[in-house]
Amino acid sequence: MKSLVSIREGGLASWALRLVAAAFVIGLVFWVPTSAGAGLISTAIEALTLMSAAMALNLILGYTGQISIGHSAFLGIGAYTTGIFVSRWGFSPWLTFPIAFLIAFVVGVIVSFPASRIKGVYLALVTLALGLVFPQLLTWKKLSWLTGGGAGLPNKDSQLQTTGFNIGRKEGQMLHFEIFGWDPFGDLRRPDNKAAFWYWIAAGVAVIVYLVCRGVVKSRVGRSMVAIRDNETAAAVMGVNLVKTKAMVFGLSAGLCALPGCVVAIKIGSVSPEGITSLTVKGAITFLIVMVIGGAGSLWGPIIGAALYVFVTEKTGEWANDDAIPALIRPLFAWAKVPPGDGIFAVLLILLMFVAPRGIVGVWNQYSSRIVRVLPRPAGAVGPAPMATAAMFTVTDSEGEHE
Amino acid sequence: MKRTRGLAAAIAAGVLLIAACSDDKTTDSTTAPSTGDTVAVETTVATDDSTAETVADTTPVTDPVAAGWTVDTDNCVDPAAANAPIEGTIKIGSAMPLSGGAAAAAFAPVKDGFEAYIKYANEKGLLGDINIEVTIEDDQYNAELTPGAVAKQIDAGVNIFSGIIGSPNNLAVRDTLNDNCIPQLAALTGSPAWGEVADYPWTIGQLVPYPVESAVYAAQIAELYPDGAKVSLFHVNNEFGQYYVEAFKELADQYGIEIIGEETVEATDSNPPTAQITNIAAAKPDVIMAVPLGAQCISFLNEVANAKAANPGWTPATFLTNTCASSLILGASGQAANGLYTSSNLIDVVDPANAALPNVAEYLAYMGSVGKSDVAATAGAGWTTAEVTVAILKQAQASPEGLTQASIIKAARNFTYTPTLGLPGVEFKMNGEEDPYLAESLVVRQYAVAADGSGTFTDIGDLITEFES
Amino acid sequence: MALFFQRLVDGMSYGSVYALIALGLVIVYRGTGHLNFAQGEMALFCAYFVYQFGEWRIPVWPAMFLGMGVGFLLGSATEVALVRPISKRSPFAVFIVTIGLFTFLNWLDGAIWGNQQLPNSGVGSKQLSYPSLFPNDPQDQWLPFGVSIRYERVGILVLVLVLTGLLFLLFNKTKFGLSMRAVASNAESAKLAGIRTNRVLMMSWGLAAAIGALGGVVQAGLNGNVNLGLMFTVFIYGSAAATLGGFDSPGGAVIGGLMIGVIENLASGYLPKWVGQEMKLGVAFVVILAVLLVKPSGLFGTAKVERV
Repeated sequence: MKSLVSIREGGLASWALRLVAAAFVIGLVFWVPTSAGAGLISTAIEALTLMSAAMALNLILGYTGQISIGHSAFLGIGAYTTGIFVSRWGFSPWLTFPIAFLIAFVVGVIVSFPASRIKGVYLALVTLALGLVFPQLLTWKKLSWLTGGGAGLPNKDSQLQTTGFNIGRKEGQMLHFEIFGWDPFGDLRRPDNKAAFWYWIAAGVAVIVYLVCRGVVKSRVGRSMVAIRDNETAAAVMGVNLVKTKAMVFGLSAGLCALPGCVVAIKIGSVSPEGITSLTVKGAITFLIVMVIGGAGSLWGPIIGAALYVFVTEKTGEWANDDAIPALIRPLFAWAKVPPGDGIFAVLLILLMFVAPRGIVGVWNQYSSRIVRVLPRPAGAVGPAPMATAAMFTVTDSEGEHE
Repeated sequence: MKRTRGLAAAIAAGVLLIAACSDDKTTDSTTAPSTGDTVAVETTVATDDSTAETVADTTPVTDPVAAGWTVDTDNCVDPAAANAPIEGTIKIGSAMPLSGGAAAAAFAPVKDGFEAYIKYANEKGLLGDINIEVTIEDDQYNAELTPGAVAKQIDAGVNIFSGIIGSPNNLAVRDTLNDNCIPQLAALTGSPAWGEVADYPWTIGQLVPYPVESAVYAAQIAELYPDGAKVSLFHVNNEFGQYYVEAFKELADQYGIEIIGEETVEATDSNPPTAQITNIAAAKPDVIMAVPLGAQCISFLNEVANAKAANPGWTPATFLTNTCASSLILGASGQAANGLYTSSNLIDVVDPANAALPNVAEYLAYMGSVGKSDVAATAGAGWTTAEVTVAILKQAQASPEGLTQASIIKAARNFTYTPTLGLPGVEFKMNGEEDPYLAESLVVRQYAVAADGSGTFTDIGDLITEFES
Repeated sequence: MALFFQRLVDGMSYGSVYALIALGLVIVYRGTGHLNFAQGEMALFCAYFVYQFGEWRIPVWPAMFLGMGVGFLLGSATEVALVRPISKRSPFAVFIVTIGLFTFLNWLDGAIWGNQQLPNSGVGSKQLSYPSLFPNDPQDQWLPFGVSIRYERVGILVLVLVLTGLLFLLFNKTKFGLSMRAVASNAESAKLAGIRTNRVLMMSWGLAAAIGALGGVVQAGLNGNVNLGLMFTVFIYGSAAATLGGFDSPGGAVIGGLMIGVIENLASGYLPKWVGQEMKLGVAFVVILAVLLVKPSGLFGTAKVERV
């Protein structure tokens, strides 16, 4: 494909481009909490938690090719870790992030062993069942001493009864969040400040998840993952330890997915199977949809997909009421008795599979490369091999799913 | 008192309830419908009786401000704002499920009723020169979205919140609203959590607390079976069912009730509860105390009827929570609903015999005039919620402080009110920490189905007010 | 003892619906090697149609056949317009398309019929409850030895068995069945042998969706209503049944369905503390996992399916 401009990776121009992109993103990240109202900040928090979950899913699905429709369970593990440790045992909510990561990591590793023996859509089936069972596990009588059953936590047996488990709520109320005397948020009881505080927690989680994903993907493990995705047998032949790599990636993906769960629990101050939609299968399907629409197997795909999803559902949320629909497109949507968000994304998902299976990011790469093309470094230089091949989206006879 | 409703009644009624219940996510919030349902109205009657309209100014008497409980605004984020007089316009905010799953359609009539009453109050000038403005945000019944919905409205200068639906949803914003001294009135759930006056003075629940309804049934069971009753429980396995049944179990000993079985149903389960009823029937209890939701009420009643037919001689009394007691659900159950016990605190507006009551007629006429006749049957919950809210505002306005956020919550916690659609004798009362709950009176009723399928409610005994504190 | 048999009967009654969903999954799998995640939602879509036909005063049996017709159209259209072109890309793309279809159909049901359960006189339904294919008054039952055997449940079971018999005949005694088997075992050589592969695949998807439609109608009839969540858990039970029976065995699907129904019901009945109602799904999960790990071809599947 011809490009107008070619630049060399690692060269000055490429760094300049990166700087501009980074400046834009960082600017946006800072603009939201400082300039927007609490409403928009809250929407941004929803987007951040969704993109964290989708990025975690991307690691196992987009990069390693292992289908999961059960990641809602890992998010739920995160939410319930925060809920249980804070309300039952009085832990600081901060501490529950690493604990949740570890618990979900272990569960993910355990899940990976049967999972590595099950391939393709069968794994999808098993994980779908897992996603459906998880909320049942929370209401299970045998576990209700821990989870509080269908009513969730905090309940009257828990140490913490009358308050939620907002950060700082444990002993009295946290009025300010100070770092060495610096008080960036002001009085945390104010809705705007509180939203900004939560926003930074969610943003912190998203950044951590992104950096971990990036680190993994660009490492040796990342190349093993892609090799497994593209051709499992060949990967094994090349010396990739399938079981170990899958266990590691599953664990990491699960652990990362737990983190946005903690954010949700802290934000709403209670956990119950019915109060948190993200821990039900509907949540897992949403992660999957936004990840694929944004671009599976690309670092920015889930981020863009999640932002788009939250933005569109927020904008069309009231479209069940015909008057809320902009007049121009009213005839398109007025007949529907429910808001069109889910329908739009379902159609978009199917359409993209036909025209651009690598999602929005794929489309972007395709068209942007007509203008600017970044040439990879000469072979032998440090840096990742170009690996986002579309193997998963093209026929792979060797994958052995359906012979 | 005997009420009859024709089959036609069933057609107009119960959208809210049954729909609410159909939702697999309905927890406590279905109790919202319960009130709504009992206020159900027969649409045809509404048009027939539109002549009976203005029996205005039966506006119930509110007590002048009592000097009892007061709120401490020193700890508010902004004490000045909490005590600042509200002039010109008072903004009421709320978060309800308007989209996203079955909860949305289920609660749409709550919104309609709520908005209709506010419109009515503005037209009647109930708050004098103060105009009431309502915004209702959509949280899809997902507590993850409620903080955002509320924050957005606080940004927009909302003075008070009223009628937020769902326990987790209300919990999610309780801290913020209490910290900022913004009244959170009429939380539409029956969780006992809304009685924590000392910790959360700014949060008030609208519905009869689940434990109170449980106690009413326990007392009635004890009356039916003075020598002690064997009871099997059947409940939906979520917050709503769990609180209900816990309260019932605690009272069992006191009323000589022996619980011989407990069966649950998952709110998401789409199989009829055949297996559960098989287990219950095997134990042959005297009474089945049932706490299902929505569509599961219907399949529960049908399965019980089947089990009775399969076990000749076993004729248990069935107690069903009033979330299920809509004419629609009971009508759809046909003969299977015959003889069940339930409870209520509001006038049955579906009943043609009540259509002539001035308050009912006015309600029906007004709903007709705003083009909401179709949902009049089920919008009563929203109507009553808004009515109580406005009554609180009115009382606050009359207080020496005038209308402020602080005076509103003070008025709410020193409040006695006779709702227009309440049963005779029903009073909504709150009194500081002594009585943190609004509604605690219920009357037990039995449902009888005639050969032609039409159902009749009969009140059993008088209004039970002993749980009012 | 009566209780044991009652639980057995109850379990088989649940199981017959799972069998219908499993049958649909198996037929698609045999034909195209795909697992149709939208199977349950296709069934639901048709169940809504049957409700609509009931509103138009069409008696339940004709309405059911019409519903199956809708299912056939939906299924074959899906194959032709979506699955066939996309399956050239990758199995993953097909999976994503079925997930998209799953979400889309559920949204579409809500968009057309609203998100309350139907019939619902509150939204103007004329029917009182969802039509049942068989008599279902409380008295409509036999009571041998105190075990309640309801006409409706027996009728459904008979329907399932008759359907399985017909499918057996179709697969083994007709030319179409022969082509189906040829395509299933080797699509390429079937094509070379002059079999119209495309038509066969289209027909199998249509057939699968039509059978699924029957499952949706039956499940809605047992509940007395149709709602957006009706087929969600049933789909998983049906998948468990198909896994247990073997993904390419229609007979296995039926036996698997009945077994899942009985196993989960006995487990929850006799282990109320450990399984109870809340962990019935756990039973399905364990069955799926165990079968895929231990014997991926299921009880009756051919070894071809192995190596999952």
